[in-house]
Amino acid sequence: MAGLADITLIQAADLVASGEATSLDLLHACWANLDAVNPQVNAMIWQEREAAEAAARAADEAVKSKQKLGRLHGVPMAHKDMYYQAGKLSTCGSALRKDFRPTVTATVIERMAAAGAYTFGGLNMAEFAQNPTGHNKTFGDCHNPWNLPYITGGSSSGSGASVAARFNYMALGSDTGGSIRLPASACGVTGLKPTQTRVSRYGVMPLSFSHDNVGPLARTARDCARVLAVIAGHDPRDPTSAREPVPSYESFMDGDLTGLRIGVPTNYFLDGADEPVLAAMEAALLVLTGRGATVSRFDLPLMDAVAAYGGIVSRVEAAPIHAEWMRSNPQAYGAHISARMYPGYAIPAAYYVEALSRRGPVLRAFAAEVFAKVDVLVTPTIRTCLPTLAETDIDHGPPGTEHKFMAVSANTRPFNYLGLPAISVPCGFDPNGCPIGLQIAGRPFAEGRILKVAGAYQLDTRWHWARPPILDTVGAAA
Amino acid sequence: MGVFEALIETTIARWHGIKAPNKPAKRLAAELTDTITAFEALRGTMVFEDEPSSFEAALQATKEGA
Repeated sequence: MAGLADITLIQAADLVASGEATSLDLLHACWANLDAVNPQVNAMIWQEREAAEAAARAADEAVKSKQKLGRLHGVPMAHKDMYYQAGKLSTCGSALRKDFRPTVTATVIERMAAAGAYTFGGLNMAEFAQNPTGHNKTFGDCHNPWNLPYITGGSSSGSGASVAARFNYMALGSDTGGSIRLPASACGVTGLKPTQTRVSRYGVMPLSFSHDNVGPLARTARDCARVLAVIAGHDPRDPTSAREPVPSYESFMDGDLTGLRIGVPTNYFLDGADEPVLAAMEAALLVLTGRGATVSRFDLPLMDAVAAYGGIVSRVEAAPIHAEWMRSNPQAYGAHISARMYPGYAIPAAYYVEALSRRGPVLRAFAAEVFAKVDVLVTPTIRTCLPTLAETDIDHGPPGTEHKFMAVSANTRPFNYLGLPAISVPCGFDPNGCPIGLQIAGRPFAEGRILKVAGAYQLDTRWHWARPPILDTVGAAA
Repeated sequence: MGVFEALIETTIARWHGIKAPNKPAKRLAAELTDTITAFEALRGTMVFEDEPSSFEAALQATKEGA
């Protein structure tokens, strides 16, 4: 069925529920694009087609027999290859786990399955979720569907690329320093990092237990709202998950921004920003003010502390997780991960404890000053026009390449240390034809508010509907 | 190799049994001087706190409507 892979997650679920399309139709439409573009994009690293077709038929049978259907009923999906499903492959993007089959299933996978979704394979990712570009030594680099030599953003590279390339309605990513928002921005899709503790991490490969987050990448903010409502909420198997009630996030999305106060930081986030990125952000602000929001610009407090403290937490927490392999088999890692992880072994424990013990006070002081003035912050998700894979290739690039590589996540990392929810929505294209993302951040547990802003923006813009030309040039049918 | 870089590599090798896996790792380890500088700049901003500074409590205290 032509165009069936271009629709949103919610439209897909609605079509299946109404009987206007079958789950098998959706699956085959996604696979038509997958078969056509994945050889170039390399977003998907393993597939399970027979099981997926069986799941699709079961979903269709449930519709025919008028069973009670979940909110994601019959929607095929694939996720970043670090969400454990008992007995199924979960490579974590690494040669060290290329045959790993966990014995447990992630809570978020169970919750989405209970809502009617099923999976058809695993998506490419940065090794152990540790780079912001999409390089991968073992499974091959993931390529941007909009312009193949350019980065997809990482670490949820396949998640962003698969949704953009229309062979996936949504994908889970993980976000420790921007790994949901960066590929969302680079690939022209919508990506939500929830508040720290909002979503269970049970059965999810760990990187940094203080900064790791689980969240969706999808076509629209409304799709992200649907998924978040399914996966959020306390999980006894992850005692760190919040007991905060889970609202109907879609109910926030009425398009009305009357009285909304937007803050645009004048320090840090725009340092060295490229003109096309700034122009896209200013154009987006005009759209938001057109719906009733006001904009104020001011310096954010405490950014030196946020950068210094936030800069060491994930490096130190990743170090012991990988210490045994770093001793016994360091060459199994790409330089993109081992080079970044190595200094973490030398950071003093007192620095790490200082960074963690200051996290609460810094958040309190930051929130008291910033959220007295505004309801949300708006920044570019990535400050610069997108770099190429070659320009950010630490393995083969000249000295200094690592700085260009690290700069990709400069605007996303602060919200991980602060624990705030943030969403990236597509807001334009750079001169190379690569997408530009707009980041919207809010108070803790204000996912409803940032989804409302993102949803209002998408009512007046078409960036999120844009289709990578590669789908036309390869003659993809769906 | 400078004194600082040598000290870092020796420390990591002695404390963790891990050698620098590649040249970018050595360069990034040398840049730990930037981390020290950033922490130096924050000295004096720490205050003695009698209460445990729980991050989870701060999330609750700063949420909408709190």
